[in-house]
Amino acid sequence: MSIITEQSPGGDLEYLRLLHLADSALPIGALAQSFGLESLAACELLTPAGVPEFLRGYAEEAGVMEAVFCREAFRLAGVNAFASERWVEINQRLGALKPARESRAGSAALGQHFLSAVLGLGEFPLVRQALAAARQARSVVHHSPAFGLVAGVLGLDEERAVLAYLHQSLSSLVSACQRLLPIGQSEATRILWNLKPALIDAAARSRDCSVDDVSCFTPLLDWGAMEHPALTTRLFIS
Amino acid sequence: MACAQQIEIGLEPAADAASRVEASLELDFEFDQAAGRTVLSASRQQAPLQVVRAFALEDGSALAHLHNVSGGLLGGDRLAVRAQVGAGASAQLTTTGATRIYRPRKQAPDVTQVNEVRVGEDGLLEYVPDPIIPFAGARFHQQTTIRLAPGAGLFWWEILAPGREARGELFAYDRMELKMDIWTPERLIAAERVRLEPRMHAVSSLARLGDYRYWATFYICRVGAGPKLWVTAEERLREVAASASPAGETRWGVSTLAADGLVVRCLARQGRWVLAGLREIWSAAKSLLYGREAIPPRKVN
Repeated sequence: MSIITEQSPGGDLEYLRLLHLADSALPIGALAQSFGLESLAACELLTPAGVPEFLRGYAEEAGVMEAVFCREAFRLAGVNAFASERWVEINQRLGALKPARESRAGSAALGQHFLSAVLGLGEFPLVRQALAAARQARSVVHHSPAFGLVAGVLGLDEERAVLAYLHQSLSSLVSACQRLLPIGQSEATRILWNLKPALIDAAARSRDCSVDDVSCFTPLLDWGAMEHPALTTRLFIS
Repeated sequence: MACAQQIEIGLEPAADAASRVEASLELDFEFDQAAGRTVLSASRQQAPLQVVRAFALEDGSALAHLHNVSGGLLGGDRLAVRAQVGAGASAQLTTTGATRIYRPRKQAPDVTQVNEVRVGEDGLLEYVPDPIIPFAGARFHQQTTIRLAPGAGLFWWEILAPGREARGELFAYDRMELKMDIWTPERLIAAERVRLEPRMHAVSSLARLGDYRYWATFYICRVGAGPKLWVTAEERLREVAASASPAGETRWGVSTLAADGLVVRCLARQGRWVLAGLREIWSAAKSLLYGREAIPPRKVN
């Protein structure tokens, strides 16, 4: 029987914590968001056959962008004095890069809930400081930087953290597709399984970008998210 | 004539690296109290960028046509445009025609254009250009920074065509990079980082354009207008956009920004619906925000 400490040999504790934070069962509301997929499915632009290709394109664009912000926040946690102005700035920049109101609000809700959930698991002064800084600046906290910051605070590995973030966000989208389209459990599992190389590629590409120059071109998805408020029947918040 | 032929088939005119253009255009618009209208108070220009003169519009605004006398952008061109609209002034900028980005020679650097824009307190800038048409092999990098003072307004659209459609030249360009930041005194309210490399990443992906060919973005801002106004504007402009073109030909999206404005996005199968739709939305938005009609620019050649 081994005794788990805060600095477990081989990083077992850190690994388990990463799995926990990236679990879709973490109660932060991720499954209530489709980020525009619901509109694409409603007008039959997104079909079951098109889901894998769509998600690969998503990983190449939005995946890389979110990964860059996740990394940037991860690195903030490693600095001795927390750069609260930079923290607010990167969250505002990510918000400015999200043109659709509902998707922006969805990302902000997940970020806020994520940090709150983490604070319910232990005392993490830097996380509390980050929330306070955002509140003081009347800024929101987006999900990818929130995830990165917490991963940094917990001393997790940066590459693993970015991959875990991408995996859980694509996993949530696959889950949304399952509820919007006739996609069975086995097919959904296969889609997510086959996406893993795209996630690794997105994480790798995010290493060479900064929050100031990372690109993201997802106009059809943006359109879907912008049209979502006009749908008459909605399963999702966004 | 050889030059014209080359342009016709999409090659830039022959030129060595030393003849590449570094041009700038600086425009200052001010409200002239005595005249009761906006005037172009200062203009510094280097060929091929040119503004011949500003025209007075019936609502007191000044209209200027941005003209590239070389007919388009050539590989290695480095252009800088600075426009400043003073406090209380109102200016409209348009182009004399589509911005053509020619196929560069292999060794030529990317075409770059840097736009720096400032709109002063209670000023208004309307930037309503023709589409950008990238020829086969074109490489273009544009960076636009817009700073809005308290009360400042902005109508700013960009239209990206797939190429020379009539020749069947679709997404044959190498790279299009469009970067944009819109700042208010409080914060960054909108940022765009578009990078299209059709040979590396299929634009026909459903995550990108799907089977649409044209893409347009339209920012509508007025610093200090309350959130309620933007909610109303989003709903109203969504209705206008929905009736702006035949169903199936276009997809229009409208959404409020993080603060002080909204963005309209368009995907279209054909270019002709884009400009017409943008003008309808512009007109409705101008009425909502300023209580007066938008005045479509007269074109000069």
